[in-house]
Order: sequence, then C-alpha cells, then structure tokens
Amino acid sequence: MVGVKASRNGWIVWLTFLIGMLLSVSPLPQFMEILRPLWLALLLAFWALYMPQMIGMVTAFCLGLAEDVLYGTLLGQNALILTLITFLVLSLQQRLRMFPMWQQSLVILVIFGLAQLVQLWLSALTGNRQPTLALVLPALVSALLWPWVSFALRGLRRRYKIN
Amino acid sequence: MRLLVLAVLSVALMVVDARFSLLKPARSQMSLVLMDAYWITDLPGRLWEGVASQFGSRTELVAENEKLKTENLLLQGRMQKLAALTEQNVRLRELLNSSALVNEKVEVAELIGMDPNPFTHRIIINKGERDGVVLGQPVLDARGLMGQVVELMPYTSRVLLLTDSTHSIPVQVNRNGLRAIASGTGNPERLELRHVADTADVKEGDLLVSSGLGQRFPAGYPVATVKEVIHDSGQPFAIVRAVPTAALNRSRYLLLVFSDNRTAEERANDAAQAQENLDAFGGGPVVPATVPKTVNTQTATPAATTATPAAAPASATPAKPAAGKPPATPAKPPAAASKPPAAQPASARPAAKPPVTAPATTGGRE
Repeated sequence: MVGVKASRNGWIVWLTFLIGMLLSVSPLPQFMEILRPLWLALLLAFWALYMPQMIGMVTAFCLGLAEDVLYGTLLGQNALILTLITFLVLSLQQRLRMFPMWQQSLVILVIFGLAQLVQLWLSALTGNRQPTLALVLPALVSALLWPWVSFALRGLRRRYKIN
Repeated sequence: MRLLVLAVLSVALMVVDARFSLLKPARSQMSLVLMDAYWITDLPGRLWEGVASQFGSRTELVAENEKLKTENLLLQGRMQKLAALTEQNVRLRELLNSSALVNEKVEVAELIGMDPNPFTHRIIINKGERDGVVLGQPVLDARGLMGQVVELMPYTSRVLLLTDSTHSIPVQVNRNGLRAIASGTGNPERLELRHVADTADVKEGDLLVSSGLGQRFPAGYPVATVKEVIHDSGQPFAIVRAVPTAALNRSRYLLLVFSDNRTAEERANDAAQAQENLDAFGGGPVVPATVPKTVNTQTATPAATTATPAAAPASATPAKPAAGKPPATPAKPPAAASKPPAAQPASARPAAKPPVTAPATTGGRE
C-alpha cells in the first residue's frame, strides 16, 4: 500500500531532483563558485534517509550519470560519488533518523567530506589536477545547509503525503 | 553488494569513456536533454535583459544608437584601410609565390553557462555539432582569442578557455616575431610564457599574437599583452606573465572561427589550380579579379578620410544594421573574389543562417 501512495506523489521527489540539478549548474559569483553546495547529494541523502524504499543507489547512479554529462566529466565519476554517498547514508539510516539535527549535520559533513576526497582523487587520476583541499569546502557548506534543506523537504513531504 | 556492482560499473564506464569513443553517442543523446539546464538557468538573466531593453528609455536608446553608429563608423574606416592592405598583401604574396591566404569565416555564438567546477575554466556556448562546430575550433571575442572547443554536443558545446591550467597556446611576440608558448595558470587574468630564455627580447606591454604553429589556432589573432617580465638569476628561464586581451570572464557574445583545415600544401595546390583555371578561363591572371575591388576600396577610402558623416554610412550599407552583434565582426570579403577554392570550406558546410554568416566572413587574413 506504500507503493500506491509513492506512485501517486513520487513525481515531487523527481521535481526536487530536477531543481537540484538546475541549482548545481546555476551561475554564481566567482568567489562563491568554490562554495557551491552539493545539491544533488543533499537531496539524495534526504530522500534516501526518509524514503529508502523509493530512492536507492540505482537512482543515485543514474543522477550521477546525468551530473557527469552536465559537468563534462568522465561518465561514471559523479555516479560513483553519489552512489557512495547514498550507500553510506543508507547504511547509517536507522541511527541517523534518531539523531538530533546538529548531529545529523556532523555525519553529513563526514560523509560528504569523504566523498569529496574520493572526487579529488578521481580527478587527479583523470588529469584535472585540482590544487587544494578547498574541494572539501562544499561539504562544509552542504552540512551547514542540511538542517534547512531537511526542514523544507520534511514540510514538503508532510504537505503532499509522500511516503 | 549493490554498491559493489554499481561501483564496478561506474569505474568501467570511466575507463571506457576515457579510452574509447564508444560512449560518445549516448553522451550526446543525454546532453540533448540535460544541457537545457544551462539554458534554463540562463533564462532569468536573458529575461531581465529583454525587460530592460523593453523599458529602456528612449533617450538611452538614442544615446546607445549614437554610440554604436560612431563606433561602426570608426570600424568601417579601419576596415577600408584593411581592405587596401589585404589587397597589397595578396599582391606581394603573389610576387613571392608564397602560399595563398586563408579565408576565415566566423559565426556568432552566445555564452549560455559557465562550468560549475571552479578549478576549470570552461564555458558552454549555444552552438553545437548541428551548427557545424568541430572539435578544436578556435573561439574569439571582440578583443582576442578566448579558447577552443573541447566537447561537442548536438546543440551546445564546451569551450576550454586559454587560462585553464591544462591549456597552452603557441604565440609570437608581435613586435619581433619571437615564438613562445603561453600556458594557462588557472587565474582568469593571467597567462605565463614557458621556457623563455633570460636574454630573450620580451618587454612589458608587448602584444602576443597566435603563431598558428600548433595547426589549431589561426595565426595573427591577439592573445595577450605582457604584463611583467621577471629576471631572476636563480631561475633558468625568465618569468613572463601576460594578461589575456579577450575579456574571458565578461564576454557574452563570442565568435567561432571556421578556418579551413587543409594543410598548407593542399592550400598552395588549390591556389595554383585556381590560378591556372583563371588563366585558362579568360586572359588576365588575378589582377582583373582584384581590380574592381581595389577600385571600390580606393574610391571609398577618400570618402571616409574626408569624414563626411553621410558618405561613410553610405559606404557601410552592404553591412547589415547589426544591432545585437559585437562590432568587431568585419564585413566585406575583399580577397574572396580572387580565390574560388578558398571559399570551398564555407560552401561545403550547410549554408544555414544567412543573416549571421553572410556578413561575418572576414577578409583574407594571414
């Protein structure tokens, strides 16, 4: 019976992913480019946390491929990162749902930081050497944004009874 | 378990994508849908521009029109001189029997997005494979070279800018022809000349132009101006820093250059062929073909030098009233008449979009 409901309002989840994708390519001032949050990863983490029956690693993989095409990176690079993030979130899911918000943020920081390190490593392998550890900054910004994103998406979920 | 499968799958995809061109079609199909994201995120800015121009006051528009007119006048004046010089160049080259000029065609493209990765300098433009863009095609703005096309998608393409840390371009000091390689540094205002001898004659303020040696960029386009030259006795080479002349992070309208990709030999052969044809066809060699042109330009030049403001716009009538176009698209193909084969790459491509391409053909450029 869960499936019936999910199929009714599941499109909202995909809509959020679409918006996340737009946000992840929207133009930003030069100094903020380096702080751009990982929108898709944030959304994936939330939906994987609260709707694991609908959003899983395969979704993450497909979204990652889309992101690869958008960013012009090697096909599979962001797919691997997003799959990894979703895996970590899913494996911590039971505990993560019980945590207070600040603790959730902390865990998100660690997971995203790890993912960005893998990203750094992958892009070094593919030749786009990226100079600094500044690559971890987006993880920090995402962790700071997590409470707000989580709050907003929870409101959305309650409003449209997505589950 | 699922993680393992997906991880292996993505690693395999990465390897295949890096090594083979197997995934290119899939990629271009996906980009067909996905690249609209850039277009959508660009939409607010575009709408704002539209609204601003809708509600722009009349006086402002008149002022802008005035300004554009004077600018156009100046550029036209310069063009006339250029036409004469081009003719002269053609004739001198014929005397020297050196290879023919290349006729380059340019097309206007619009920037629709920046690459979200702050460590790479890439932009996305609204012309792609279906518009005849090819891989490695040079991109200019009104002031100089900007970069080259590195990824083709059906209706968009990705351009690697000169200042990306993975990009280098062969250049020449305009003043004395000294060759060097300008590499990007990852700083949008900075290029560096690599391995320049400490005694080399490079000075602050020198203009660097593309030398065309890499067979990728056409020769003679401005690339950068030298900002500082540091002679450090501890270093084996001089440190030369330059600032790109193109407004790499400010230009919205760009020019795609369609140079023909024949080798110099083929070009020379074609030119010789053309010459023969011309000789066989009707008496005089090249001179008759160029004479009407020169007459034109010479009659036009005095008109402009006397600076009667009415006469110059009159001579400017073949150029269309380019409103949104950057003023630097030179009109008039003066040397085109003397060389049928040089126009071939242009006519081989689908001759779509007459309003953009037609006035954009540059005259013979080295």
